[in-house]
Amino acid sequence: MHDNSLKEPLRGLILNIQHFCTHDGPGIRTTVFLKGCSLRCKWCSNPESIHLKPELAHNAGKCIGEKQCGFCLKNVCPESAIYVVGSGDRPDDKVRINWDLCTNCGKCIPACPTNALYLFGEEMSVDQVLDEVEQDSAFYRESGGGMTVSGGECQLQPDFLAALLAGAHERGINTAIETASNVPWDFMEKVLAHVDIVLHDIKLTDPERHKKWCGVDNTRIRANLKRAYETFPDKKFIARTPLIPGVNDDEEHIRATLAFLKPHKNVTDYELLPYHRFGEGKYEFLGAIYEMQDFTSPDPETLKRLRAIIDEAFGRNG
Amino acid sequence: MPTQKKRIAINFGGGYVPGLNSVIAAAARAAAELGWETVGICDGFDSLLFPERYPDGAFLDLASLAPMSLDYSNGCILGTAAASDPFHVRAISPENIVEEVDRSDDLLRALSDEGIDAVISVAGSRALSILHKLSRKGLTTVCIPKSIENDIAATSLSFGFNSALSFLAEMLERARHAARSARRIGVVEVPGEFAGWLALQSGMAVCADAVLIPEIPYDLKKVAQKLKGKADRGQGFGLVVVAEGAKPLKAQSGPPKTADASLRVSLSPGATGEEGPHVIERSGRAAAEVSRELTRLTDLPGYPLVLSEIARGGVPTVVDRQLGLGYGAAAVRALKEGHSGVMVIFEPPDINFISLAEAINKVRAVPSDSEFLRIVRALGICLGD
Repeated sequence: MHDNSLKEPLRGLILNIQHFCTHDGPGIRTTVFLKGCSLRCKWCSNPESIHLKPELAHNAGKCIGEKQCGFCLKNVCPESAIYVVGSGDRPDDKVRINWDLCTNCGKCIPACPTNALYLFGEEMSVDQVLDEVEQDSAFYRESGGGMTVSGGECQLQPDFLAALLAGAHERGINTAIETASNVPWDFMEKVLAHVDIVLHDIKLTDPERHKKWCGVDNTRIRANLKRAYETFPDKKFIARTPLIPGVNDDEEHIRATLAFLKPHKNVTDYELLPYHRFGEGKYEFLGAIYEMQDFTSPDPETLKRLRAIIDEAFGRNG
Repeated sequence: MPTQKKRIAINFGGGYVPGLNSVIAAAARAAAELGWETVGICDGFDSLLFPERYPDGAFLDLASLAPMSLDYSNGCILGTAAASDPFHVRAISPENIVEEVDRSDDLLRALSDEGIDAVISVAGSRALSILHKLSRKGLTTVCIPKSIENDIAATSLSFGFNSALSFLAEMLERARHAARSARRIGVVEVPGEFAGWLALQSGMAVCADAVLIPEIPYDLKKVAQKLKGKADRGQGFGLVVVAEGAKPLKAQSGPPKTADASLRVSLSPGATGEEGPHVIERSGRAAAEVSRELTRLTDLPGYPLVLSEIARGGVPTVVDRQLGLGYGAAAVRALKEGHSGVMVIFEPPDINFISLAEAINKVRAVPSDSEFLRIVRALGICLGD
C-alpha cells in the first residue's frame, strides 16, 4: 500500500465532508470521510471509499445519451474507455465505461454537461478541511459535538490524519475517529495522541471468520486495540459491531467481544449497528469490479436480545 | 523461408461455451505442422498468477496429449477463468492490508521465463479488453472471439453461439409441447443482455408466438392481444421467448429488489446504472415479470422457464466445431505472419484479422433493418412493438 501513499504528506485524499451527523459520536458532528480501506468486507456499503486513489464514477441515470449529447465520446478519453452499445437506432444510447481500460484520469469529467461523470476523491490540505469543518462550530458548542474522521480506514493516511486532528484541537474542536484498526501500530500511535473518542469496529472475533468476511484475519486488529487501550488510558474508546444476519448476529460473537473489551475501563460502551443495505447503486457507478453479497437487516428481536446482553455486561439493567 | 521455431501457449478467458477443445486441437495441430510447440495455460492466467495452487504446474503439454486424439466434441481440458484479471489481483500486503495489485508484469515475466513466444486467447468481450492491455505491454497475442450471445461486433460469428442457439431451439420446441399439452403460456428466458440474437433466432426457428429482445422495448398488451386472438380460435396456449436484457417500453413498477448483487454483477458486466436498461436484476427476472403480466392480461396461466447458464454446456454443433478449428488454425497463421494484438474474425467466406483496439467496446446488437426482424415479422411472430 505504500506505493499508493500520498507524496504530499499534509494533503489527504478526502471522499466527502458530511455536515450535521448524529450517529458518529456525541452531539452534532461533521464527519470527514477519508478514502482508502485495508479491509474488503463483503457487506461494504461504501465501495467508493475502498481504494486509496481518486476514482471515476458514472451515473447512467444522469446520462442523456449519444444523440442528445455525446461530448464524452469525441476523443476525450485517452484510453478510449467510453463507448455506446450498438448504432444510433438503439433505444438506449447512454454511454458506457470500459472499466478495464479506464485509468481514473478524469479527463472526461469536464466534457459531461449533466454531471453523469464525476470523480470520487479529492486531495485537500488540513486547513482546507478544517475551514469547512469549522463552519459548524456553533453547533458543536451547543450540542457537545465536534469532528469525526471516518473512511474507508482513516488511519491509512496517518500523517495527514494526525495533522488534521491536531489542527482541530488547536481550533478547539473535539475529535473522534471511526476505525477498523487494521493498520500498522505506528500509524495508530501517531493518530491516537490527537483523538478524544475512538469509535472502533469489532466486526468478528474469530480470525477465520474475519478472514472469510473481511478479506484478512483480525490478529493485528486485536493486538492493536489491546495496545491502544493500554497505551492511551485517558482516551475514550467505544466498540461497535455492524450487525449482519448470518455473519455476526450470534451470542458467541457478542460475548467474545465483551470478554475482550471488559477488562479495559476506558472502553466505555459497545454498540450494535444494525446493517442496512444502501450501497448497491454505488457499485454500479464504479463498474462491476466489487463483490457484494446479499445481506438482510437484522430482525428487531435478535437486536433486542443481543443488546440486552451488552446492557447487562455494562450494568445498565432496568 | 522456414519459420523460426516457437513455443506458443493457449488459454481461455471469460465464460464457458461448448466445444472449446476444438480450438485447442486446431491450434496445436496447426502449430505442430510448423514445428512449433504448444502448451495450454490452466484456468485463464490463474495458474501463472497463483502457481502455489497448481502443484502440477501451470501448463498442460498439448504435444504429449496428442491433439489428434483430443476429444474436441466436448468440454475444455484447460479450464476457464471468468474473472482472471492480472491488472487487479486481490492480495494481502506484508502490512496485512487488503489491496488490488497490478500483476501484469509478473505475468509477462512468468510467460517469458517459460519461453512462451505468444499467447492465443479465446476471449469474451471483457477478456478482449484485458488482452488488449497486455498486448500494449508487449505480449504477443492473438485472440479468438467467444460468446454464446454473438455480441462481439467485429465478427459475424462468435465461437459458441451456434451451439447455444441449437440447444435453445430444441429446448423451446419441448417447452412448446409442454405448453400445448398443459394449455398454458410458456415464457422462456434465454441469454442476451445487450444483443437479442439468441432469442430472435431460436424463437424464429421454432416459430414462437412472441420474441422479446433488448433492442426493442416491448409492450405486453400487444403480445397479450396476439395470444388472446389465438385462444379465441381454440388454441389457449403459447410460447414467448424473452432475452435476459429485454425491457418494457414503459417501466412498470417491478417487484422489490431481492437480487443477489454478485450474481447480478456477473450477469451484467456492461450495466451502467442501477436502473439502466441493461441491468439484469437476476437471471429469471425477465421471464417471471413477463409471465406474471401476461397471465394478468390474458387470463391464460403462464409459466416462466429459465435457460441461462445451461446454454453454455453440452456438445458443440458442427458449425461450431468447424469454426473452432478454423479460428484455431487462423490464430496460428496470424502468428506465423507476424501479427500481434489482433483478433481473428469470420467474414464469410474468409477468416481475417482485426486489431484488438478496433474489436473492443463494440457490441453487435440486432439492427432495426435486420433481415431476421423482417422474416420474424413476415411470419407473424410478435416482437412486442
